[in-house]
Amino acid sequence: MFSFDSGMQDSSSLEANPSSDIVEFQSLDPRIIQVWRIAGLIFCGVVLLISLVGVVIVSLKAPVTRPWIFVGWFLVAALLLWFCLTMPPRRYRNWGYRINDKVLETRSGKMFQVLRLLPLNRLQHVDLQRGPVERMFGLARLQLHTAGTHEATITIPGLAADVATQLRDRLVARGGKDAD
Amino acid sequence: MQTEIPPPSAPENRFTTLPVKLLEGRLHPLTLVVGLVSSLRRLIIPAIPILLFGNTFRWGGIGLFIVIIGGTLVSLLLRYLSFSYRIEGQELITREGLIERQERHIPLEKVHEIRIEQNLLHRIFDVVEAVVETAGAEGAEAKLSVLSRAEAERLREAVAARGEAKNLPVDAVETLAKPEREVIRTLGLRDLIWHGLTSNHLLSALAIMGALWAFADDVLPNSIYQQLGKFLKMAAGQMYQQGWRAAVMVALAGLAAVMILGLVVSVVGSVIKFYGFTLSRQGDELFRSYGLITRRASSLPRRRIQVLKIEEGMIRRWFGLVTLRADISGSKKEDEDDNTGRDVLMPVAKASELEHLVSVFFPQLAADPAEWKMVSRLAVQRSMVFAALLLCLAVAVLCFLTRSWLGIGLFLLLPALYWLSVKSYRNFGYALGAEFFRTRSGWLGRESYVVPIEKSQVIVVRQSPFDRWLNLASLQVDTAGQAYTGGSPNISNLPMAEALQVARTLARKASRASANF
Repeated sequence: MFSFDSGMQDSSSLEANPSSDIVEFQSLDPRIIQVWRIAGLIFCGVVLLISLVGVVIVSLKAPVTRPWIFVGWFLVAALLLWFCLTMPPRRYRNWGYRINDKVLETRSGKMFQVLRLLPLNRLQHVDLQRGPVERMFGLARLQLHTAGTHEATITIPGLAADVATQLRDRLVARGGKDAD
Repeated sequence: MQTEIPPPSAPENRFTTLPVKLLEGRLHPLTLVVGLVSSLRRLIIPAIPILLFGNTFRWGGIGLFIVIIGGTLVSLLLRYLSFSYRIEGQELITREGLIERQERHIPLEKVHEIRIEQNLLHRIFDVVEAVVETAGAEGAEAKLSVLSRAEAERLREAVAARGEAKNLPVDAVETLAKPEREVIRTLGLRDLIWHGLTSNHLLSALAIMGALWAFADDVLPNSIYQQLGKFLKMAAGQMYQQGWRAAVMVALAGLAAVMILGLVVSVVGSVIKFYGFTLSRQGDELFRSYGLITRRASSLPRRRIQVLKIEEGMIRRWFGLVTLRADISGSKKEDEDDNTGRDVLMPVAKASELEHLVSVFFPQLAADPAEWKMVSRLAVQRSMVFAALLLCLAVAVLCFLTRSWLGIGLFLLLPALYWLSVKSYRNFGYALGAEFFRTRSGWLGRESYVVPIEKSQVIVVRQSPFDRWLNLASLQVDTAGQAYTGGSPNISNLPMAEALQVARTLARKASRASANF
């Protein structure tokens, strides 16, 4: 089986430029797991509260359904919460990025794996963003914008704030060397 | 990304220190007349009922019109008096506004396309409207309405010359030998009739019928519906007596009538839209001009083409015809049913000329031979699994509905489906050259893309669970501007290792060339 891990050296050997390119995929900052969990829990909380209101209304209108509908709601709630708590570590394990002097690669997902390659001189501008939860954990995310159409923006979440700043500076220095 | 403009003290850059005015101009005086007539034209339809029927509001209505026309006239006058443009150094500068002044500087090298349009009204007065497009702006960057034809042509030439020779000092441009303009392809009436016949305009025929009905509905008295109802009832009664044959005949005749109407409408539409289509080239600049009633002309530098799409629809492919579409960076549809013909680079051409035409747009392509590679054979297996599942479902539903085992007969379709998927598998492929990436897909109707590798923006490899089961992946090359080509080249069912290798090669190659829209 092939995975996204292999290959940067494979293709570089084709290009007769082997030495400088062998870079391992970097993980995100592990604190992102907590950030994703909190974000997930907030989302779940909102969804569950709204659905709880619905459930209560239905159970008042039709008392016959009362036991079942609450059991159903609890099952869904448990499933959602379990999902919110267990998904972030898996997501973290599958997320990776690497950058050499020419190309930035990100990979993500397990069920639906996606690998994105960004030739660095295609970079138009870089945004560094920090939400409140991310700030609490000292994290930041980078948004890399190209002139593309459907895949114009690549986001790298969960970078330690200083790493994000360094990476941004490096990318900005490297990208956009071209005149147009 | 900003152009690096050297500081004013740099002595070698004469044209940045001493901006030379290449061209300076104002709108044509007929702007006033044309603007007034076109706003009157817009007022005519709402004016008729008020002038004819609205006894109580007649004078109020007329007063309102006078106010509107007066306002239009004043704003036209202000625009005419205040609008000026000039080319200075490397910029096109427009100025407008009397009270609130606005000056817009458009770097010439960012100008992607200059369109010159001449609708019926403009043709009466022999003036044109020039629209300057750049990558960034939503819509037009500058609209010069209206200019004399000679003036628009002068503007276009000046911009084209500066865009191409951006590194030359300004007076050198004037002496630069202008390459001859070479006509590449014109479309005659025959071509256009073919274009109309092969484009599927059944829907627009229906739309026209609907519009006619809506119009008739306004004009005709309501009693006509009662009479029509009576007539239909009578006709149905007669048909019932004559048996089902007559009914089928009538239905077929109706269908044929709609089809013929559709064909006529699309032929007429094609001729009106693309009459006198000419594609020509002058140096790097490509020109298109077409149109029977509204004449349109546009020029775009071919180096700005981001992606070229070769479309062979089901019907066109049958007759050996192709359509070419291209996107330049930042091309945007003006609205969804943009009917100006901007979306096609070449509305119709013979498949045999394809090689020549493509070489006009991408001259380096001929020198970049690349082997066409097929995707994984597993593609057939995969589509057969899907087809079989769908068939099973269809059979189950059919058997359940008819309460019989007849539905199983649907499985007879399997060999045909297999044949189809083998055919389409054989037509799937990609070619990775030194400078170009090409993909092709489809058998009944075929689509091929040509992307200059230096224009690719982001390369994406995706693997769905089903892909992973077969160890396949799909590859997508995203480019700037995909308004007319409808999405970027996307090739699925590649073996995973191959997809990764192609993606990385593309990214590496793209990273060498500097982006240049």
